[in-house]
Amino acid sequence: MRVALFVTCVNDALYPETGRATVSVLERLGHEVVFPAAQTCCGQMHLNSGYRPEALRLARRFVDIFSSYEAIVCPSASCAGTVAEAYAHAAEDAGETSLAQDARALSPRVHELSKFLVDVLGVTDVGASFPHRVAYHPTCHSLRVLRAYDQPLSLLHAVRGLCLVELPGAAVCCGFGGTFALKNSDVSSAMLADKLAAVRASGAEVVCALDNSCLTHIGGGASRLKMGVRALHLAQILATPEGGRP
Amino acid sequence: MNPSGFETSPPFPLAARSALQDTQLRANLRQATTTIRQKRDRLVAELPDFEELRTAAAGIKDDALSRLDELLGQLEASVSARGGHVHFAASAAEANEVVVGIVKAARAREVVKVKSMTTGECHLNDALAAAGIDVGETDLAELIVQLGADLPSHIVVPAIHRNRAEVRDIFLAKMGEHGRAAPADLSDDPADLAGAARAHLRERFLRAEVAISGANFAVAETGSLVVVESEGNGRMCLTLPRVLISVVGIDKVIPRFGDLGVFLQLLARSATGERMNPYTSIWSGVSPGDGPEEVHLVLLDNGRSSALADPTGRQALRCIRCAACLNVCPVYERVGGHAYGSVYPGPIGAVLTPQLHGVASDSVSGSLPFASTLCGACYEVCPVKIDIPRLLVHLRARSVERAKDKGPGLESVAMAAASAVLSSEKRFAAAERLVSWLSRPFGAKGAMGPLPWPFRSWTISRDAPVVPRQSFRGWWRSERGPSVTRGPQAKPVRRARPARESATSSPAATGTAPAATGTEGVLSAVRAALRSAPFSLTERRHSYRDNPELDMAMPPIDLLLERLSEYKATATMVGMQEVQAAIGTVLSRGKSTRVVVPAGFPEAWRPEASGVVVEIDGGDFSPAGLDGFDACLTGCAIAIAETGTIVLDGGESQGRRAVSLLPDHLVVVVRQDQVVATVPDAVARLTSSPTQTWISGPSATSDIELNRVEGVHGPRKLDVVIVVGRQSFSSGPSCSPEPKL
Repeated sequence: MRVALFVTCVNDALYPETGRATVSVLERLGHEVVFPAAQTCCGQMHLNSGYRPEALRLARRFVDIFSSYEAIVCPSASCAGTVAEAYAHAAEDAGETSLAQDARALSPRVHELSKFLVDVLGVTDVGASFPHRVAYHPTCHSLRVLRAYDQPLSLLHAVRGLCLVELPGAAVCCGFGGTFALKNSDVSSAMLADKLAAVRASGAEVVCALDNSCLTHIGGGASRLKMGVRALHLAQILATPEGGRP
Repeated sequence: MNPSGFETSPPFPLAARSALQDTQLRANLRQATTTIRQKRDRLVAELPDFEELRTAAAGIKDDALSRLDELLGQLEASVSARGGHVHFAASAAEANEVVVGIVKAARAREVVKVKSMTTGECHLNDALAAAGIDVGETDLAELIVQLGADLPSHIVVPAIHRNRAEVRDIFLAKMGEHGRAAPADLSDDPADLAGAARAHLRERFLRAEVAISGANFAVAETGSLVVVESEGNGRMCLTLPRVLISVVGIDKVIPRFGDLGVFLQLLARSATGERMNPYTSIWSGVSPGDGPEEVHLVLLDNGRSSALADPTGRQALRCIRCAACLNVCPVYERVGGHAYGSVYPGPIGAVLTPQLHGVASDSVSGSLPFASTLCGACYEVCPVKIDIPRLLVHLRARSVERAKDKGPGLESVAMAAASAVLSSEKRFAAAERLVSWLSRPFGAKGAMGPLPWPFRSWTISRDAPVVPRQSFRGWWRSERGPSVTRGPQAKPVRRARPARESATSSPAATGTAPAATGTEGVLSAVRAALRSAPFSLTERRHSYRDNPELDMAMPPIDLLLERLSEYKATATMVGMQEVQAAIGTVLSRGKSTRVVVPAGFPEAWRPEASGVVVEIDGGDFSPAGLDGFDACLTGCAIAIAETGTIVLDGGESQGRRAVSLLPDHLVVVVRQDQVVATVPDAVARLTSSPTQTWISGPSATSDIELNRVEGVHGPRKLDVVIVVGRQSFSSGPSCSPEPKL
């Protein structure tokens, strides 16, 4: 299958490893990956911060760039959710009906990586090996917008050597919330403290999720507390071959 | 002690910061919300058609809102036809004026109040106090809040932030100022505290001439108002005083009585995690000889018609105030209700308050849409499917738009710059290279520690990632060569920006109060809103089967017995000939010797044991007289197996409402043919009964540290005698299976 990668602006600038891992997993499974270079950002930050006209310009740009691809894969649940669901809502709420229509038409072809692997390609074992204790944090957008929960877990279960540990209160938000982390940094930090306590209690060496934005928050907190816990996107675990290191 | 204390609240981030310092508050909130959440999840899982119920409830509310003007007219006509007075109030000030006027006309110096969010929204207590009227909140939590000169922090459990020792101190210090003082040796046991409130408030209930309530629902078809409660204080207020005033938001209207079959299944499960709350009172206008002689309904707009004009925002008007969204919200759990600076806290408050007050009309309303991580837990539990995250995003857009009108701020300049960078892949790639170069000095450490402004608020608790030397696109270009720039057939399309953001600039959505007042003021504002933004309901209303074929694990009568025993009510199954003996047994077990029965209660069932005095109420006992009885014997209209509910509707065997309320021991006789399986079954048979009392177990409160205390204001002992057998009753009037009016 020919797959268009929407890497997201955060991954492009801060986590190129996640993008490379996504390419590596898809190519290992025999698929062709293309990278439409005109892509930048889905507009989630602008949209969720109240800058809707700016966000909808980025949405229009996104739809124009990606509308001709059969399958668009994105290693971020919140960005995939923005494109697949929030675009149409925001366009409707702003009275931009033609954008809402175009966004709805594009929506079924936009896939978060784990759902693409499991639901579309029907794969759970991608031939990865990762002999570590891993806690899975279901980010809010993966869990409650995209309903991606069983998919990442079945992918992790199939990774050789990986020990999936239980994360207490896993479904509770980590407190990131985009600009919430800055505007309400005290509440955000209080929520982070509870999430980190749960990670500590789980005994995990690695905390894994489908969103590097939430992982920046969780990993940044773990780093500040010198917990010795790494935050790692699912793609990077799946891309680790036998004997390799992400 | 006034709710208007909220008027001086700081914006959310500041209020939240100080709330976070309060470790006691956080511990209380965590314990309380966790407990309610677990109970709710368990009971929701029990209903196989819960999702269908949510869809039906949302559909009914949308249907009602889409023709609100028509339904308000119908409601007014129904209530007036039953002898009630209907007033329309465009603003809180107007509602307060109407209420104060009624209280003054009744020459009352004192009023008792049922817990009501709407009167809290209006700051009615302040207006009454200013008019020299002594206001008594009678819900235990509201009493704690009022006596403690405090503000409510939760919709359903307003004193969730107080612990038992604090409650004891408040009662000891303040109760005496308003009547009977708390006993000097009062302990901090929740049962003792509830007992002190019972004794204090009983005097006020018997004394008060005027009561004030809100309503959970107002049925246009029948003029029925519905109050859902637990303690029995609502029943006292709705039944005993001579004058009753109900202040109800226009968003509370539902079209048909049958719609209650949906909402009464959802509300208690979502709010307190019960199948049914202990007491639900339903009344329509005046019922001669039963309850208040003068009944007023004040229908309040106060920003609701403005919300109705916003096609996205008006979803919030579906809210039934269950507070399920508060109990699952990770932000609410950490900061509590006060931080939201409004009588409506939590996620629903964050979308309701700005719409009622006007988006960004003040610093609190401006900050509330941002008081969420958009985690979506609220939307999942909302019984009327309000998409709170979507509303928050929408209101953020309206809020930013309002801020932009005032000129560019730091944030809007940064967002505009980001927008310019992100609109071109070349500018974005250049920005990536720049940021990478700037962070190079930090690269060695792998992560960046505390940084100065503007990164300070991030790095206060989190390290920042070091920006890598090579971006993903840089890697792709170096490894894979030039990329596809566009899709095969795609070409850039430049579309004109729409001339306006339709929803956000409509004049009715600006949050200003309608200029006109009274009936015409409210109705014309509602009509204007519906004209400017008509509903386009795909389905006129969602049909919920009136008789769901629930998978009943056992016959209804066995289920009823099980539910009653879960309530710790004793239930006895007897044959027709054994009723009198069974009644004698439960009375003697309850040590009840002075017994009152309604005039229509079958003679053959009246106890004849020696030492038991039975008196018949023909409507002539005063409340204080009824209070002197140990027990009341009554028949019923219907019993609902699924929820263990007994419904009294004023039929012959039951008499007026006060009789079954004041004595401490209630004995109800239920005939087998009166037992129905489900709530919708019961609602279908009760449409034409104007006064109803739904009883599900003894009165109870969980207002103090969520400890359940049974017996607050209503009867503390409930005994149910279920009569089986087909033989119809011959001596004396029977409890009619068809409810009598």
